[in-house]
Formats: sequence, structure tokens, C-alpha cells
Amino acid sequence: MPEKVENHLDYKNYILIWFTLIILTTISVSASRLNLGQWGILIVLLVTPIKAGIVVNYFMHLKYEKPYMQFMLSIVLAVLAVFIGLTFFDIAFR
Amino acid sequence: MNPSNMIAIEHHKDAEGSRLGMWLFLYTEIILFGGLFLLYAMYRMKNAETFHHASSELNTFIGVLNTIILITSSLTMALSILATEKGNKNLAIIFLIITILLGCGFLTNKYFEWSAKIHHGIYPNSPVLLKRPSGEILFFGLYFTMTGLHGLHVLIGILVMLIMLFMILKNKINSKDFGILENSGLYWHLVDIIWIFLLPLFYLIS
Repeated sequence: MPEKVENHLDYKNYILIWFTLIILTTISVSASRLNLGQWGILIVLLVTPIKAGIVVNYFMHLKYEKPYMQFMLSIVLAVLAVFIGLTFFDIAFR
Repeated sequence: MNPSNMIAIEHHKDAEGSRLGMWLFLYTEIILFGGLFLLYAMYRMKNAETFHHASSELNTFIGVLNTIILITSSLTMALSILATEKGNKNLAIIFLIITILLGCGFLTNKYFEWSAKIHHGIYPNSPVLLKRPSGEILFFGLYFTMTGLHGLHVLIGILVMLIMLFMILKNKINSKDFGILENSGLYWHLVDIIWIFLLPLFYLIS
């Protein structure tokens, strides 16, 4: 039996998602080019995961999957955060 | 069990199960690239100024162009899957071909980018590079390794999509059975996401 995953999103929705990603890319690149100093870096570091989140939730439709699948990804990301975070606490004080 | 029962049994496919399997594989890819991102983060922390300076030697325009290419290819991949689900075989084929062409465009840009660098004597372990500060050697080492590994994934994605194209043409992928196309889409979207992170790390920090 075919399982419908796409019935939440139509052609128009996907194009709107794409457009949002292009806008966010423009914001990100502009923030890095204008001399905004620390704010520029902050904007880039905030916009990038948002773009990734949009691709994951809508293009990969994780938002429309069962909770257990969403939960599993958050576990993997938490593992990565721990790896990077703990290594940071080591390297930063050498 | 008698022969007429056996004939009646259809080949069972589990779309959710195979999708879960694909996600499990994607998790390993996240950890793979995550390890390289960790390396970047630590070396960046120790060589902030040098990384900032070295980044200005990269062509931001090509980097941004490649980002737009991959984001658009994710769109066309999703549209191809939607068209398949709706039974619009021709539209699905068109979108899939566009996705493949965009992927090739990405790799072509990469080729020009890398050959420019290599032409200037900058490649892993080159005499020119080894004369530079250690921070720059690290930056370019990470640049070639990470964009190289990513580029390999783009190439693999293109090959996978060519197989998908073949299967659609042969009706092995259709509106009732397109799980394998969805899974290929998941892989391609991850390749896009990895690049979304690579762009600021190498091109936007100058």
C-alpha cells in the first residue's frame, strides 16, 4: 500500500520554500560582506541552521514524519553537539 | 501452501521501513562530516586570524553560485518526487534531469575553482603552501578535504539519480511505488545541507 508522505505539500509550497532559502542565503551572504563585525558572524551562524532546518523539515519532510523519526535525528545532533562541545572545552584551555 | 496461494502473494514493500533505513545511513553521513566540522572548529579556534585571511583567497562568487545551484536542485528533486506521486511521469523525468544537470553544474564550478588554486600552486602538501603559515596550511587542507569529500558525494548523488531516471523510464518507479526515489531525494537533500554549512565556514568568514 503506497504511503502518502507528500499530501501536505504541493508544487507551490515547494517553490515558496525554495524562495525562502534563496532569501536567507542573500541575508547570510550580505551580513558577511557588510562590515558588521561580530553581528555579521552572528547573523550567519543563526541563518545557516535555519536554512538546514527548512531543508530537513520540508524538502526531507521530517516535519510530517512520525515523532520517533524526528526524535532520532535530534539524538544524532545532540551526539554531535556533545562531541564538538566537549572537544572545545579541551582545546580552548590548552 | 499450494501454488495458487503463492502466485497470489505480491512482493511486499515497506516504504516507511526503507525510509527509516535511509535516515539511519544519513545519520552516519552526519557523523562523518561532523567529525570534519569538528576539526575545522578546533583549528579555527587556534588560528582565527589566519583562517580569516586565507578565506579571502577563495572565490565567494562561485561559492554562492554553487549554493544557489544546490538549493535549486533540492527543489527540482522534491518536485520530481511530487510529480511521480501524482502520476505525471514526463514532469518527473524533466525535474530529475534538471536536478542532474544542476549537480553537474556544481561539479563543473568545483573543477574551475580547484584548478585555479592548483594552478597557483596551492594544493595539499604543495611547496608553495608549505612555505605559508601553519594556519593557512590547515585551512587549505581542510578546504580540499571537506569540499573534496562533499564533491564525491555530489558525484555519487548524480550517479544514483541517473539510476533513478532509468528506473522511471522503465516504470519500475511509478505513482504506486516510488520509495526508492524518495530515499534518493533524502540523500540529495543531505548533500545540499552539508554544502549549506560548508559555504559560511570557508567562503563567508572573510
